Amino acid sequence: MSGLLAAAAACEPAHLSDLGTLLQVLWQFLSLSLFSLGGGNTLLAEYHHLAVAQFCWLTNTQFADLYALAEAAPGPSSMLVGLLGLGAGWREGPFWALLSAYGAEAAILLPSTLLMVTACLSWKRLEHSPWRVAFERGLGPITLGILFAVGLKILRTADTNFAGLLVSVLVCVLMLRTRISPLWFMAVAGVLGGLGVINR
Amino acid sequence: MTELRPSLSELFWGMLQVALSAFGGGLSAWSQRIVVEQRRWMTNEQFLTGLTVARLFPGPNQINMAVYIGAEFHGLSGALVALAGMLLLPFSLLMGLGLAYFHFHTIPSVDRVLAGVVAAAAGMALSMGFKILDQYWNDRVALLLAAVVFLALSLFDQRLIPVVLIAGPLAMAWYWPRRRANP
Repeated sequence: MSGLLAAAAACEPAHLSDLGTLLQVLWQFLSLSLFSLGGGNTLLAEYHHLAVAQFCWLTNTQFADLYALAEAAPGPSSMLVGLLGLGAGWREGPFWALLSAYGAEAAILLPSTLLMVTACLSWKRLEHSPWRVAFERGLGPITLGILFAVGLKILRTADTNFAGLLVSVLVCVLMLRTRISPLWFMAVAGVLGGLGVINR
Repeated sequence: MTELRPSLSELFWGMLQVALSAFGGGLSAWSQRIVVEQRRWMTNEQFLTGLTVARLFPGPNQINMAVYIGAEFHGLSGALVALAGMLLLPFSLLMGLGLAYFHFHTIPSVDRVLAGVVAAAAGMALSMGFKILDQYWNDRVALLLAAVVFLALSLFDQRLIPVVLIAGPLAMAWYWPRRRANP
């Protein structure tokens, strides 16, 4: 699939029973869990593929909005998965939306949590193992490549006008060069959006 | 300094305290302050070991840290209780916000503000790669690996799981420690 542009057009909203949607949500996030390298943000582009291109739970715009919401809200930003679950179940009403939201978050966290518990209990043996060294050093560059791909994907998903793109680049530079809380960037950009300077 | 072993309910409330203190970021600094300095469940070394493990293994770092703290005292049940303490309240708040979003996002003024916030959030996402680029700057193989992975995902639109399953073992083989690690 050369899907970057064609993805939205190719997508047919899934007609599923309530339970079917729920199980599908659970399975997709369960299987991604162990691939959340480098703190979890490496999965963002996969979330987009699932929610927008593959299952049509969300539009491109909604995905971008939910990502921003998860970044702005207090707590770990990995809670985005819950918002995606919410969007997946929304057509079936708030009850199913919430059920699929809590289910999605539990599914994305369960496998990595089990692995983490195992790792904690056997850390004494793992710490000096060559596997650990190779894993740490080998997966680092891969994480680097993924994060650049994710950044580009989110930028494409945001799909704002030129002023918006300029703000994105500026925020990126400020994130790297200063220690200003990103909440300020989102607040200022929100005002610029309200005034119509940034639009999409 | 003596370490105090927390019960399951103390774990839950302690992690809830961490989550609430960290409104607006700095979660790991707060968890260090609360877990090591205030409640004295762990020594600083134990906590730092936890951070190492949390960053190494898959899963969100802050979540993995909660799992480490819980597992240290009560195994799997401790890990789940610590997770619940850290997540339940912020997650429920966010879901409330999410329901409000799906109700109101079609209102034009709401959508306009969100367009701005999205532009800033995209900038934050863009900075993630650059943030760790420095540490690989002098390692050509690492840069090549990163470039191949980037192209596979972005240009050739491959899925993450097969890319990691192919590139991961190759990278691990290249970075396998040449000299025997000291036991």
